[in-house]
Amino acid sequence: MDGELLSDTFVELTDTMVAGFDVIDFMHVLTNRSVQLLDVSAAGLLLADPRGELRVVAASSEAARLLELFQIQNDEGPCLECFRSGQPVQVADLVAVAHRWPRFAPAAERAGFTAVQALPMRLREQVIGALNLFRTAPGAFDPADIRVGQALADVATISLLQERNMRHSDTLNEQLQTALNSRVIIEQAKGKLAERLGLDMDQAFSLLRESARTSNRRLSDLARAFVNGTDTLASLNVRGSPPRPLDPSPPRRPGS
Amino acid sequence: MTDSRPARIWSLVAAQAARHGGPVSAADACQAAVAAVEVTGAWLIAARGAEAGHLMRVTDKPSELLAELQVTLGEGPDLDAAASGGPVLASDLDETEAVRRWPAFAPAARLAGAAAIFAFPLQLGAIRTGVMGLYRVRSGPLTAYQLGDALTFADTATLLLLDAQDQAAGGATGPPGAGPGGQPADLTRNRAEIDQATGMLTEQLGVGIAEAFLRLRAYAYAHDRGLSDLARDIVARRLRLSPDSDPREDAQA
Repeated sequence: MDGELLSDTFVELTDTMVAGFDVIDFMHVLTNRSVQLLDVSAAGLLLADPRGELRVVAASSEAARLLELFQIQNDEGPCLECFRSGQPVQVADLVAVAHRWPRFAPAAERAGFTAVQALPMRLREQVIGALNLFRTAPGAFDPADIRVGQALADVATISLLQERNMRHSDTLNEQLQTALNSRVIIEQAKGKLAERLGLDMDQAFSLLRESARTSNRRLSDLARAFVNGTDTLASLNVRGSPPRPLDPSPPRRPGS
Repeated sequence: MTDSRPARIWSLVAAQAARHGGPVSAADACQAAVAAVEVTGAWLIAARGAEAGHLMRVTDKPSELLAELQVTLGEGPDLDAAASGGPVLASDLDETEAVRRWPAFAPAARLAGAAAIFAFPLQLGAIRTGVMGLYRVRSGPLTAYQLGDALTFADTATLLLLDAQDQAAGGATGPPGAGPGGQPADLTRNRAEIDQATGMLTEQLGVGIAEAFLRLRAYAYAHDRGLSDLARDIVARRLRLSPDSDPREDAQA
């Protein structure tokens, strides 16, 4: 593990938490840094919605997001087991234990992942989610990586509580719901921006984040203003290096 | 995972509507929440359309007072819930935290008979349709189960309020009895694609986010398609909707 990158990451994460910060943006950074720091190819973060289901809140790649979603929809997989037991779940070789998750194992293989480490996000007796690490090569996870991964998962938990005093479960549930709704607003904004500029969703997300950072605003505030039309993000249209359009001439009046 | 919670809540709301014999409305969701979540009373305030700012339902006298006090005093859980985009769960209004947060409202609410207030924004991302408030004469937090139910009542009320505004504007997303918009549980699946498609439609149709969501649902209903399925086609750019066409005409094309 790169010690300098590790210390940089913790400085970055704690800096973000001290300044005005956005939970969803924070968790996105956290999954990306997990991939850079630990010997893994992708990371995903699940949070428990009190309505009774898990939600994918951040993922380092679309493949990881879809695999998390697959587990939720099929109600099986190591990340769900980790969430339900509150204990880490390590799978060094998914092919060897395919019988344990007859639907998840082949789906993971199709996505190119063969090893998984799921780490619980715990607050005292409550399990609120899981940070999941995926690797393309089989083999046991380095114990040092697991310790750092768990620390990152703990930081993600704490980030949900930091805006107000943690008196009781009320605050956690308020923050959780606010974060989940922020996720919805950001997806709406991604769709609007992607359509306007002819981008894919990842490009739209990067642009939104960049714009939030440049203007020193919270990602969800900027996304809400953009969706509501109170902020046109006009500066994005005249950037020096425009993003690569998916289709150089999208039809203006298409039929449905 | 077949989560039956939205279906269970929907049947409670529909049963409430059947009692007065009218179409299912957001007010029924508010009324049905009282027994299901085990609170003393509830109120519902619309934030959009012709009903903006109106108290659409109060289930008892203290509920009315609690809603009006917040408007009069300019502070309270409803306003905070609307501003933050998350619920405000004040399980003990005597706590210093609550008094510090609402120095005028907290003692006034106690006098009105409330010991705990739970306010839920009625929203779908950037779409905001109102606030639902619940109160109890005894302090204490909602259980995890009650919170899950309350959130689902709020989701149901959100869709019903949107439908009502759509119908007032001459639209029709589907028969009221089929579930909120005819698709009670579909929102929980492939959520990201539905939200992205809604954002894309604001541009394709040149409309606001609430209208875009209604048009997405109307198209799904008119073409007998699942919402997430349709959303995926829009996100993959296999399908575009046109600003001129009426979704109900598209269905016959």
